[in-house]
Amino acid sequence: MNFNHIVVQNILRDKSTYISYFISSVFSILVFFLFATTAFHPMLVKLDTTSTLGITMLLASFFIYVFSIVFIIYSLFAFLKKKTKTLGTFMMMGASMRQIRKMVFRENMIIAGAAIITAIVSGLVIAPLFLMVAKKILRAETFGMYVPIKAILLTVVLFSLLFLVVTKFMTRMIKKEEIVQLLKADITQEKLIKPAPFKLIGSIIVSVFMLFSMIKEMNWVASFGMISYIVLFISLLLAIYFTITQGMLAAIRVWQKHPSYFRKTNMLFVSNLKAKGRSHAHIIYLLTILLLGAFVCTSVLYSSYYNVKEKTEILYPYSFQYTSLPGNELEAKKDSTFIEATLDEAGNYEAYYSSFKTDEKRRIAFMSVTNFNQLGQHKPLTLDDKEYFVAAGHEGVHPNKDSIQDYPFGNLEFTGLENNNILSTGLQNVYYIVPDKVYETIKYPEYKIFAYELDDWTNKVHTAKTILSKINTEPDVRLMASKIELYDVEKFVKSIMFFIGFMLSLIFMSAAMSILYFYLQTSLEREREKFSGIRKIGFSIKELASVVTKELAALIFIPFTFAAFILFATLFGMHNHISLAFYQLTAIGLGIFLLLFIISFFFIRKGYLNKLVN
Amino acid sequence: MTNTILNVKQLQKEYTGEITYKALKGIDFHLGEKEFVAVMGPSGSGKTTFLNCISTIDRPSNGSIIINSKDPYKLNDDELARFRRTELGFVFQDFNLVHTLTVEENILLPLTLDSVTEKDMKQSLAKVVAFLGIEEILKKRTFEISGGQKQRVAIARAVIHNPKLLLADEPTGNLDSKSVNSVMTLFESINKTFNTAILMVTHDAYVASFAERVIFIQDGILYNEIHRGKNKQQFYQEIMDTLTFLGGGQHEF
Repeated sequence: MNFNHIVVQNILRDKSTYISYFISSVFSILVFFLFATTAFHPMLVKLDTTSTLGITMLLASFFIYVFSIVFIIYSLFAFLKKKTKTLGTFMMMGASMRQIRKMVFRENMIIAGAAIITAIVSGLVIAPLFLMVAKKILRAETFGMYVPIKAILLTVVLFSLLFLVVTKFMTRMIKKEEIVQLLKADITQEKLIKPAPFKLIGSIIVSVFMLFSMIKEMNWVASFGMISYIVLFISLLLAIYFTITQGMLAAIRVWQKHPSYFRKTNMLFVSNLKAKGRSHAHIIYLLTILLLGAFVCTSVLYSSYYNVKEKTEILYPYSFQYTSLPGNELEAKKDSTFIEATLDEAGNYEAYYSSFKTDEKRRIAFMSVTNFNQLGQHKPLTLDDKEYFVAAGHEGVHPNKDSIQDYPFGNLEFTGLENNNILSTGLQNVYYIVPDKVYETIKYPEYKIFAYELDDWTNKVHTAKTILSKINTEPDVRLMASKIELYDVEKFVKSIMFFIGFMLSLIFMSAAMSILYFYLQTSLEREREKFSGIRKIGFSIKELASVVTKELAALIFIPFTFAAFILFATLFGMHNHISLAFYQLTAIGLGIFLLLFIISFFFIRKGYLNKLVN
Repeated sequence: MTNTILNVKQLQKEYTGEITYKALKGIDFHLGEKEFVAVMGPSGSGKTTFLNCISTIDRPSNGSIIINSKDPYKLNDDELARFRRTELGFVFQDFNLVHTLTVEENILLPLTLDSVTEKDMKQSLAKVVAFLGIEEILKKRTFEISGGQKQRVAIARAVIHNPKLLLADEPTGNLDSKSVNSVMTLFESINKTFNTAILMVTHDAYVASFAERVIFIQDGILYNEIHRGKNKQQFYQEIMDTLTFLGGGQHEF
């Protein structure tokens, strides 16, 4: 038997302590590896010329990496705390601090090595499957399996480095304490929550102020840029922290004063909460943050994924919109014939011919009522001789109603406003619809519009490709905008986002589960002792179950409720920017999460009770 | 008088907290080589603190402790660790065994930390295991054996490297009377066979009567000491009388 033997046995015979940490680490490394495999795919260069996909994947991997640092630091802290007494025993037997550090370091490096190897091996097994899914989601037919040497190297090097540095750093943190303190670590009382009303109020005020100025788009937010977002982020984290700890303290105090405190198992439950208040609050806090991360990743990304069609239609109202610039008449005829011939084969379509004149310098367009009505996607409009109508040019930007007064068209009167852009967004800043007579007097160059709306357009990507391969935007000659193409691109981007978001939320969930598992595992021994003590004085298993149920429910559902509340509060704060469908989908997403939580709650409860009683 | 293994001078220990509390108010004590001494006193008298300071697991506030002509508190961390595993052995009331290791591994722990060769390890192990009679349970885990067995394992771990001084804190506190007897007989024979000096804290007069000398601590100062004569029974009675006087012993009806 030698030193390494002890190290190995410490892990092997204490599997339950390390298993959740190990699995979570494997999972994070695995996702990192899979992302890297996609990002370094040899076919990606051809597929993704702008390398958006590659960069997004690498950014996501980077995020996982940073998250792993935090998670590993937290886990090591938790292990050291759990092992305090054992470390004391080792020191008493004559182990020096150096040996203790060496032991902890080697233990963690063994787990790290095992985690990296497991992740890569399972990654190589899953990779073909993953690439198949990626093929579908990323619509990359050429995505076959390959030997991802680059990804393997990157994963091994980066994570070895991560574990090495973090573990080295953490073992340095093992403080030299008198052994007697280490040995008594498990019987000393935990610190209670301290009242901190000013910190609570302060952090909330700062957060609300930051949020408010961001929603109102105040000037100073823009001038501080990134810094103000970081400040908001930190102040939000602090506000959530203090709300949870102080809220718990307040709840405990209220309960203790309440007459029902001395009824049934209430006293046991509340005093339990009080004694473990700080660590409970910390766990609830961590779970809240992780769940919030998971919720945001899935709900927001999922919702945006499902709004693609509507959003595309707002940006580009037509399946095809061919804008012919002056001096292109002959070509335009040929082009429109070709488009129409192609569309004839594709299915039913409507064609709209229209035109407008534009002050090219200011990008202010004028359109006759007849031409406006010919666009066909709006309610027919009638104007008196002295009236004008305004239509937006940019998506989401209110058009200027009065710029028309700068032009010598006589005294026209404003009659109405169309807030949606009538043609592809950004083509012109604003469209003024004027009576036909006025339009004829305008001397600006005229742009001709050939707009087509194809039935069942979302399934006509192929048609769009045929047309766009032949006719594409040529500056100063013709402009081409197709919502089919845009939809295709947008859907592609959103799929990647959703895919990555889904993976990230899985990582958050696994970290949350790991932390909860480890926490319960650590406190199990003491709880068992306590409950076996009170069972001797006539405490039934049913009563025990009721105390445990309440405590577990607090640990699991308070974070859930809190995170859900924050999510909805945020969405509500952004209600100007998001549609109703967003709320519905978020609610559905949360519903699914809730269901998962309820199921896992019953599983955890059953397992925990079994362990407590036996 | 034989050579001194342990010399304690004006030992003081203060716990600073919300209320500063003086656990030891200046104790002078010496322990001879091969001597077996029990420390007694009522609860809260400071006897465990006294032992912890000598064990180098708690730091005294004042005074000096010399073990085998070395001052452990002047050693650096590596030297102190080495000192612990060569000069001292520890036995505790709650055993302090490492639950991830088997009985055998627990016993070998001090030797592993010293990188002793496999052969030497086996020899030392065989010797100590035979002496304690725990051959059968070597491969078991710590939660599979009884309290008495656990204490034997802890003792084996404490003596495997032939320490000069064995320190025991209520070694029989968690044991039934049969195990108490066998553990104490063990202590006696360790003392005789290996010439190990033993300093043991106990509140049990019967346990203390196995020692050659009993010292009494009350309110952080050394109150009294009694030596064993020829008669163990009489020694026990003297201990009981002193305890009754201190208010920590049996009550008479």
